[in-house]
Amino acid sequence: MIYDVRHITTYGYSRMVPFARCILRLQPRNDGGQSVRTSELIITPRPAERLDGICFFGNRMTTLTIAKPHRELKVEMRARVEVNRTPPPFPGLTRHWEEVSTLALASDSLAPDSPAHHLYPSRLVPPVTAVTDYARTSFPPLRPVLEAASELMARIRRDFTYDPDATEVSTPLEEAFRERHGVCQDFAHVMIAGLRGLGLPAAYVSGYIRTIPPPGEKRLEGADASHAWVMLWCGPETGWIGLDPTNDLIVADDHIVTAFGRDYADVSPLDGVLVGPGSQKVGIAVDVIPVV
Amino acid sequence: MALQGRSPSARTRTERRNALLAGYRPLPGVHDELIGRDGQVRPQWEPFLAEWCAFSPEELNQRFGLADRHVHDTGVSYRVHGDLDEHDPAAGERAWPLSHVPLVITGAEWETIAAGVAQRAQLLGTLLDDIYGPGEMIANGLLPASVLTGSPDYLRPLQGAPGGGALQLYAADLGRGPDGRWWVLQDRTQAPSGTGYALENRLALSRAFPDMFRSMNIERLAAFFQGFRAGLVASSKRVEPRICLLTPGPLNESYFEQTYLARYLGFLLVEGGDLVMREGRVHVRTIAGLKRADVIWRRIDGDFSDPLELNAHSALGVAGLVQAVRKGSVHIANGLGSGVVEARALMGFLPALGERLLGEEMILPNVATWWCGQPRERAAVLDRLDEMSIAPAFRSAGGGLDTGPVVVADLPSGERDALRARIEARGMDYVGQEVVRLSTTPVFQNGRLQPRPMTLRVFAAATPDGWKVMPGGFCRISDEPDARAVSMRSGVRSSDVWVTSDRPVDPVTLLPTPDRITIHRVTGTLPSRAADNLFWLGRYLERTEATLRLVRALLGRLIDADVTNPARPDTVRRLANILVAWGAAPSGKGVASKARGPAAGKLSPILAQATAALYDAAEYGSARANVGEARRTASVIRERLSIDAWRLFGDLLRQLTLEPGRQPSEGEVYEVADRALKTLAAFSGLSQENMVRGPGWRFLDIGRRIERGIATCRFARHFAEANAPSDGLDALLDLTDSQITYRSRYMVGASLQPVVDLVMLDPYNPRSVAFQVDRLDTEIRDLPSLTEDGMLEAPRRLVLKLAAECRTAEAARLDRTGILLFEQLLMGLSSAIADRYFLQNSGPEGSRLTGIA
Repeated sequence: MIYDVRHITTYGYSRMVPFARCILRLQPRNDGGQSVRTSELIITPRPAERLDGICFFGNRMTTLTIAKPHRELKVEMRARVEVNRTPPPFPGLTRHWEEVSTLALASDSLAPDSPAHHLYPSRLVPPVTAVTDYARTSFPPLRPVLEAASELMARIRRDFTYDPDATEVSTPLEEAFRERHGVCQDFAHVMIAGLRGLGLPAAYVSGYIRTIPPPGEKRLEGADASHAWVMLWCGPETGWIGLDPTNDLIVADDHIVTAFGRDYADVSPLDGVLVGPGSQKVGIAVDVIPVV
Repeated sequence: MALQGRSPSARTRTERRNALLAGYRPLPGVHDELIGRDGQVRPQWEPFLAEWCAFSPEELNQRFGLADRHVHDTGVSYRVHGDLDEHDPAAGERAWPLSHVPLVITGAEWETIAAGVAQRAQLLGTLLDDIYGPGEMIANGLLPASVLTGSPDYLRPLQGAPGGGALQLYAADLGRGPDGRWWVLQDRTQAPSGTGYALENRLALSRAFPDMFRSMNIERLAAFFQGFRAGLVASSKRVEPRICLLTPGPLNESYFEQTYLARYLGFLLVEGGDLVMREGRVHVRTIAGLKRADVIWRRIDGDFSDPLELNAHSALGVAGLVQAVRKGSVHIANGLGSGVVEARALMGFLPALGERLLGEEMILPNVATWWCGQPRERAAVLDRLDEMSIAPAFRSAGGGLDTGPVVVADLPSGERDALRARIEARGMDYVGQEVVRLSTTPVFQNGRLQPRPMTLRVFAAATPDGWKVMPGGFCRISDEPDARAVSMRSGVRSSDVWVTSDRPVDPVTLLPTPDRITIHRVTGTLPSRAADNLFWLGRYLERTEATLRLVRALLGRLIDADVTNPARPDTVRRLANILVAWGAAPSGKGVASKARGPAAGKLSPILAQATAALYDAAEYGSARANVGEARRTASVIRERLSIDAWRLFGDLLRQLTLEPGRQPSEGEVYEVADRALKTLAAFSGLSQENMVRGPGWRFLDIGRRIERGIATCRFARHFAEANAPSDGLDALLDLTDSQITYRSRYMVGASLQPVVDLVMLDPYNPRSVAFQVDRLDTEIRDLPSLTEDGMLEAPRRLVLKLAAECRTAEAARLDRTGILLFEQLLMGLSSAIADRYFLQNSGPEGSRLTGIA
């Protein structure tokens, strides 16, 4: 599949902001069955400094400063991405989950894709016993890891209510779990907490899914906005497999990966520190259009 | 009475020695520092005991008093975590619990400790460079990657950055086992604290026992700090780098130590808000604009040092710092990622790493540690669980895990089973360790020595000549006879560590050698925040003075009730009204409704108002409240104030504190106001005579001058109106301390125009508004300018306007409106100074963009 992605973020400020320093993780990754044909960032007002680079986890990262007073910051990302992933393995044929945990723990790599980075609690995914217990139901001894994880994903989809008004970026995962509601970000965090609680390496992914469903299929949750899901390391042969608990889907060619990390804090699309008081309003618009 | 110079008889000494040691019983199965296995005092302690026994108990007490007074006078303090008062950073501080008995260690034994600590520093430093660099230890299988990734101090954005984990100051917490060997209990690589406290303990004890340091040949500490500073200087590309000590601020538990070290080492003490990243470099915001920071010695955790790329919730750091580190434009000590090797999980791997990286066996072993992230080690730990101590493998990242080590044998069986289950489920979060039994060292209690468990923190610094170990350290002693872990929280004291030498010790001071130093007359740059605080310190002090003068003038008139003067009641009423208007005292009605109880009927409302203006911290304009504000302001720039100046705050607060429920008499309130004015005068004297005329002093002075000018204008508006009775003018002369000048100049009673001229316009009267403006003109002229186009900056423009107004005004025409104009110009000047020097048109980078999903 080839997609055209357009993601516009607009910050409006109630007062002049004389200086801002931002970090952007908006441009899609060029790996894992994805190839970025073109990609650009249009920033208004024009930044005084701009540095494009790659963060530890291999995500594209842009840091910039805006040194002139402004009332509005607009960041537009446009990209054309071709997605052609290797089909996921048959879940019942993956390694059993205890083995995956042991292998991850013994990893001899600190490379960005090493499972060792994703075994432990992280800023937004603290250990929560209740979540681990919830996940454990799907993980009886010696069950193939992807089979068990798919079941957990399906349970989250079944037990949780998708409700964009229920949570915010700052809602703790315990609360989303207790109330059994939230958005893609909450579901991903809950699932990661459960998997890590069992000693499995689970990562957080930000990205997009196609906006317009193929004929005859229903529209997926999380379109028209940036999306988030989970990746699970299933052993050295299989590597990382994407699991979307919001839609109960094993990730294939409907998903476009922007960034990969331990949780939202590692991949937040736009973050910044600015000078000055006053309030702000955010507007987001996302289009994901299949070209071919 | 103690006889000086006469040594006590041998018999007396023996008796004193017996009394000291009576009842000193080392715990069974534990090494004791003082008494050997044979029951005899260890030889290195003999000279110390002999010196002590030369003192009578009274003399000894007197010596302790000297040490304690030193501690008190320098304001050595620490803070217990969570013991915070945002509004008064000085409030939660605790006095330093100093043990008067040092820990004595022989030079020979110290050699092993020093070699072991230096070796460990070398090993961890090399390992850190590998972790953030090539990563060979992991690739070669000597270290599983998950031993690092579990640590919240493994900072991924620093991977590959120059000096990402650079180790410059290392500390090891040591304990001595029952067999007499020293063990490493914990490595400190993040931002080790305690060097300053070690230095303070040394100064305090050397104040008490100066002779012992000479007679016992005790190693000195200064060379260590010299080496540390040289190491920091060498890490910068500039010859004379600007070195900043980055503090978390006055609410941190060891803020005192940080201010102390900044002063001792000559570093600039900065908070995150003082630093700013521009164009790839880190700068200090100073009154002269942005100045480059070359080296940052950080005392905040690495993870908190950049809210943009690291912990977004940190308010302590500098946005963009990591980027500056990656560019290599600033050196940070210790490197931001250095905390990763503090993890207990790592300890079990160090012997093998030592072999590999240094080709050496470890001189100092660490406590036997098994990381339960490995199947075999986990099985071994679970096998012997009941004999073990279990601790978190990493500093807890997300909460919810245990925080400290637990001795499994001490747990109830239910908790033991739960712990076992947790280790079985997620072993990687835990280590099993051999249970530590600490050695005991003597403390002095109730006239004799008692054994108490202790740990010893030893420091190593990376100097241009390699790792150097401080010959001494920071000994922490538990108050519990059987404690198995000691931290500097409640119930713990600390003591100096004496390393004895066989040879006389060369004195080293931190004074630089004359041929290597360039002469500076003015000390460096003044951070904007410090300037801000000094300015407000000046204003608060002056405001206190004005309130005190009001109270004194008011009570003077109340006591000396001149019944023949018909204007007297009116003057008293006006004075009281100013107090009310300034928020120093409640209104007459307020007083009446407040005053209840037996004395209420008799109490004059004026006296109640004066009392409130003096003592009531709840009245924001009272002298007490203003002194509190002054102290709060001063506490965040403590490194810039002399110890004597800091002490005056204590004196003032004591003077202005009233026992609850007591109503002092008129005479007493008058006396207290009078005395407090004298204490304040001492502060002015100190700052006039003892502070270098650098920009710091200048801002203190500017604050005082502006506040004094404003207060004088306000007084004048109240009392110098047409047809004002001479009693009111007389009060005005009192308030402006111009009584004597007036009387020497004019032989008549107070009359309007001469008084107005004297307090407002006379440039020769140091209390007049004109005089303040004159001084402000001079001070502001000498401040650095930011403009390059030759245009005047706003503060300078305003002060020139004020000066012109002062010079051209005439007393005869100066009415209340005219005075009000002066007052407003002064207030405008104050904001112009704040805009220009403190904020520089851009506040701190505070607000964050709200997150989006």
